[in-house]
Amino acid sequence: MSTLLLRVYDWRWSVLPPVTGIAMMAMIVGALVAAPREIIEGEVQRLMYLHVPSAVIMYLAFSVTAFASVMFLWKRDIRWDALARGAAVVGVFLCGMALATGAIWGKPIWGVYWTWDARLTATLVLFLIYSAYLLARSVAGPLDEQAARYTAIFAIIGVADIPIIQMSVRWWRTLHPQPIVFQPTPALPTEMLAVLALGFIAIAALAAWLIVLQTETERAAQRTSALRAEIDHREIA
Amino acid sequence: MTSLTAVVAKDLRLAWRNRAAWLSAMAFSTIAVLTYSFAFDLATGDVRPLLPGVLWTTFLFAGVFAAGQSFQEEVDDGTFDALLFSPVGATTIFLGKLTANLIALLIIECSQLVLATILFDVGLLTPELLGIVVIGTVGYVSLTTLLATMGGHVRGRSVLLPVLSLPLLVPLLIGAVRATGASLGLEAGTAPWMLLLLVFAIWSTLAAVLLFPIAAEQ
Repeated sequence: MSTLLLRVYDWRWSVLPPVTGIAMMAMIVGALVAAPREIIEGEVQRLMYLHVPSAVIMYLAFSVTAFASVMFLWKRDIRWDALARGAAVVGVFLCGMALATGAIWGKPIWGVYWTWDARLTATLVLFLIYSAYLLARSVAGPLDEQAARYTAIFAIIGVADIPIIQMSVRWWRTLHPQPIVFQPTPALPTEMLAVLALGFIAIAALAAWLIVLQTETERAAQRTSALRAEIDHREIA
Repeated sequence: MTSLTAVVAKDLRLAWRNRAAWLSAMAFSTIAVLTYSFAFDLATGDVRPLLPGVLWTTFLFAGVFAAGQSFQEEVDDGTFDALLFSPVGATTIFLGKLTANLIALLIIECSQLVLATILFDVGLLTPELLGIVVIGTVGYVSLTTLLATMGGHVRGRSVLLPVLSLPLLVPLLIGAVRATGASLGLEAGTAPWMLLLLVFAIWSTLAAVLLFPIAAEQ
């Protein structure tokens, strides 16, 4: 099983960049040219092809962070910490993207960039939680096992907090458009659904590629700091 | 059970010896309430729409501030490591710290409720409101105490603690402010805010008790 996974992982440089590039191009052309113009909202609705996939894949990225954090606490292998950080960076980036595209869409449609709606508020809180996670992890060195443990615990609590945050802010107030895609019969024309599906593929590929890049960067930082520690150790000896 | 009472007694004794830290938390919350009353001009008109928010932000900031202090003394003296080597379970150590923090914070909060009652002429010392304060405090003190175990060696810890804990406490803040508003006779919607507070308190206590042994491991 693990050898198969490793062989799949070996293909990352030959598969992920071209797939991401082609899918991103297809999504941009699809969103700007192929998809029909929405009658009520007009051109600005085309942001949906970026907004919805970013928001959904952000949750996947944060799930990867939580999973890697659990694995780190279980196996105590610092490589899981690199994956958790890598996925969190990408999750925060996608979260920012969802917030930004939502705000640009909100101005012409709602008349304001920001409103204290439940879903917006929950997404902003999520953004803050994982930014705090990255901040807390970055003040300690790449190989600091104790700091990695604290932030792993924080990441797990953060994920477990999401349902309670969602519930509380929904009770607080809600205005966001209700889901039209994830239901038994999607209320979208076929062309729009096809472009949206392309958007999901593109953003998922982009996220996967960025997570791989970011994780390998963290790994390189870990190895550098291990080497540096060894050099210091030998110099003293 | 006897080890738990021993640890609680130890932590209460520590809190008493370290009373300068707790007194500064109390002074901080008093100053915060006064600052809010100047900023929002709470002296005139109906204060009830603003009062729940003023009280709970004060409580949360005081709680985060105090939690950061609670481990500092022991980490600095090395007694926290010594305690972890003792034959007492990590969960017991955590529950002891939690109970001591809870008692100290409840004293601070009650003093603020008395102060606000006097300053703003609103009856705050009702059984319902005290219940909300107790449940809400249990909810946040367990999370802040867990996060405060971040080792003394982490740089910028005192700044990081509020940055880490306040986003996690958003549901608690919403629920507590709404429930407090409702107990003061404000419109709070139909949502069961007390249930939210209870769920959060149980969830955060469970999460903190389960994760503390991992956080404290050396």
